[in-house]
Amino acid sequence: MPPEFSVRSDSVDVDQIMTQIRARIREKRGVDYTEEELRQLASVKLENFLDPTRVRSDLIQHYRRLRESGGVDGAVPPPENYAFDDHLVYGSARGFSGRLITSIRKLLNPVLKLFFNPNPIIQVLNRQGAINEYTREQFERTSALNYEVMHNLVLELTRLSIEVKNLKMRVESVSGRLDFSDRRARALESVVQYRPGTGPAAEPAATAVSAPAPSTAQTARRDVEAAGVAAPVKGEAQRARRRRRRRGRSAGAGQPVAGGAAAEEPGEAGDGADTPDAGGRDKGIGLPFDGREPGPAEALSRGTGEPTDQ
Amino acid sequence: MKLAVVVQRYGLDINGGAELHARYVAEQLARRADVHVLTTCARDYITWRNELPAGESDVNGVRVRRFPVRRARDPQRFGRRSHHVFGSAHSVADELAWLASEGPASAALIDGIRRNEASYDFFLFFSFRYYHAYHGIRAAASRSLLVPTAERDGAVGLSIFGPIFRGVRGLMYNSFEERAMIQAVSGNDAVPHVVVGVGSEVPARTNPERFRQKYGITSPFVVYVGRIDENKGCPELFSHFERYTRALRGDLSLVLMGTSILPIPDNPRIRHLGFVSDEDKFDGIAAAEALIMPSYFESLSMVALEAWALGKPVLANGRCDVLQGQCLRSNAGLFYESLPEFVETLGLLQSNRHLAARMGENGREYFRRHYAWPVIVRKYMDTLNRLRAEDQAGRPGAGLEPLPGWFTRRRALQPPSETIVATLPSGPVRGLEGRR
Repeated sequence: MPPEFSVRSDSVDVDQIMTQIRARIREKRGVDYTEEELRQLASVKLENFLDPTRVRSDLIQHYRRLRESGGVDGAVPPPENYAFDDHLVYGSARGFSGRLITSIRKLLNPVLKLFFNPNPIIQVLNRQGAINEYTREQFERTSALNYEVMHNLVLELTRLSIEVKNLKMRVESVSGRLDFSDRRARALESVVQYRPGTGPAAEPAATAVSAPAPSTAQTARRDVEAAGVAAPVKGEAQRARRRRRRRGRSAGAGQPVAGGAAAEEPGEAGDGADTPDAGGRDKGIGLPFDGREPGPAEALSRGTGEPTDQ
Repeated sequence: MKLAVVVQRYGLDINGGAELHARYVAEQLARRADVHVLTTCARDYITWRNELPAGESDVNGVRVRRFPVRRARDPQRFGRRSHHVFGSAHSVADELAWLASEGPASAALIDGIRRNEASYDFFLFFSFRYYHAYHGIRAAASRSLLVPTAERDGAVGLSIFGPIFRGVRGLMYNSFEERAMIQAVSGNDAVPHVVVGVGSEVPARTNPERFRQKYGITSPFVVYVGRIDENKGCPELFSHFERYTRALRGDLSLVLMGTSILPIPDNPRIRHLGFVSDEDKFDGIAAAEALIMPSYFESLSMVALEAWALGKPVLANGRCDVLQGQCLRSNAGLFYESLPEFVETLGLLQSNRHLAARMGENGREYFRRHYAWPVIVRKYMDTLNRLRAEDQAGRPGAGLEPLPGWFTRRRALQPPSETIVATLPSGPVRGLEGRR
């Protein structure tokens, strides 16, 4: 937020500061769309998403047409308002003869008033004309407001849906990066444990590989004791034991030693300290980069060679 | 030199922008010339009711002559006519009817100008949009100078004002943006003019601690000074500030000074002090972190100039070209056009004290160089002397175009004024030479 904002305040340039602020806002918000692009996107969104649910995608265009035509499509425009006054009742638009007719009508006006009084009618019609005009103005104003509200709603909806989409993408990206970091962290932990001569696990492992094993069972017992003394390297010791066991199997297949080793397994497994899962996962070490358990070849290469820098 | 300042309202308790502007100019010019003020008896700008006595009086050493307003304004009728001329095709007669309903319709004032035209060297009319300026200039065009105080609204696009802008003897603009707008709408580039603005009576010393103690304000705050009104952008300011306080932790408050015609949000971090004295106003600005000016329409913000004079940065609404232009030219204020910009700019001013102080210094220098009273008065006097010399040399102005004939006046040939305003060039002027 603002404290990390870098502005050189010795010589203030407001234009430059505002450019930086706007760039920063754009960076935070993601892609910055122009109003024109938003409108275009709005129409696309409506077509793609609203049509399937039977909502008219051309709502705004339809509304605009309605406003321009002043009513329902194809309907005749409303008649012009008639400004009514007493001149229209008695007057005539026929030039000289019209003026003559007007004079005669005015002359006969008192006679007309014997039958009924036209003045209230003239007043009422005059007022009605004013009311019509006022109503029309009000209607136009409301109509314009409705249009604006709808237009703004569509624009805002589009803006929000774009923002939601951007946020979804960012969440996916962050989640992917989190997975990657998680796996990398676990892999690095295992690398640290395997590096020869740098950690407590290195010595027992090296001893287990290089020393001429008197017997697999003895070595295994020693490893278990070592694991009891140095708890953090228990999983490593178990792996080394497993490797030796495999090597023994491949070196003298069918010999009693292999059978002996196999016979020890239930007992070792029974104390709950021999399975790779128990040793590796509990201590949080030994998982390979992709999170799967190591296969035989992988386990061998890790135990004997230099770890790869992952 | 004998001058008449003509303004719609005048008085010590009248604090409208143009009216205060007129009073300051009248009082300053009175030291260099014989100045009379011609005004109405109105005090309220909504109704223009006659509240002050007609006749002569003395206000701060300036002779004031008041004329009665013939009829009060009917706001309903004025609203309907405004809607008509701003939003639809109309006639010149409609515009004149709009002007009459806007007021202050004082035929006595216009008659007084006409009868006393020869008594004054020049008439200084304030606010082009009112009845007194339009009819007064038509009564004494050759001696009229106009201080338009024009904002970017529908009135500036009305056709009746084109001849006024082209026919006055001179124009005293408030800002480069105002000049660009009026020249674009009326093509009056040839009329003598100067961009001058207005100064302010800023005290040499302020006492921020006194203000804090008086109102019990201990936390840092930003201040808004002026009428609390929708037209001034206050609802947007409230909304932005509330969201700012939610977005950023801190104890920054918003202090409001001025009469409110809007409900103030019930928020402990928004304090409304009501109408305050000048002393409190200046002490309050001096105590604040910055001044916020949220108005969309300003021809010149006097309170922004006052904040700059006191060495405080300004945060302005960037949708007002004039305010944005002033921030850019002075390098003494930031501006916002949206909520994210408001949050970033206010956060920056709050957190970077060194930057805020530097901007305040720039503001002080900007005010001193362009808006100090000696500068303003010199610009006025230079212009008046130049025009008088031209008049004496027999080179008067272009004169006023006559009104169209009776029939033409009644034909609905004029487009909606808002469409005209929409086509005018916009944006701040960046350089002092008037470049956009």
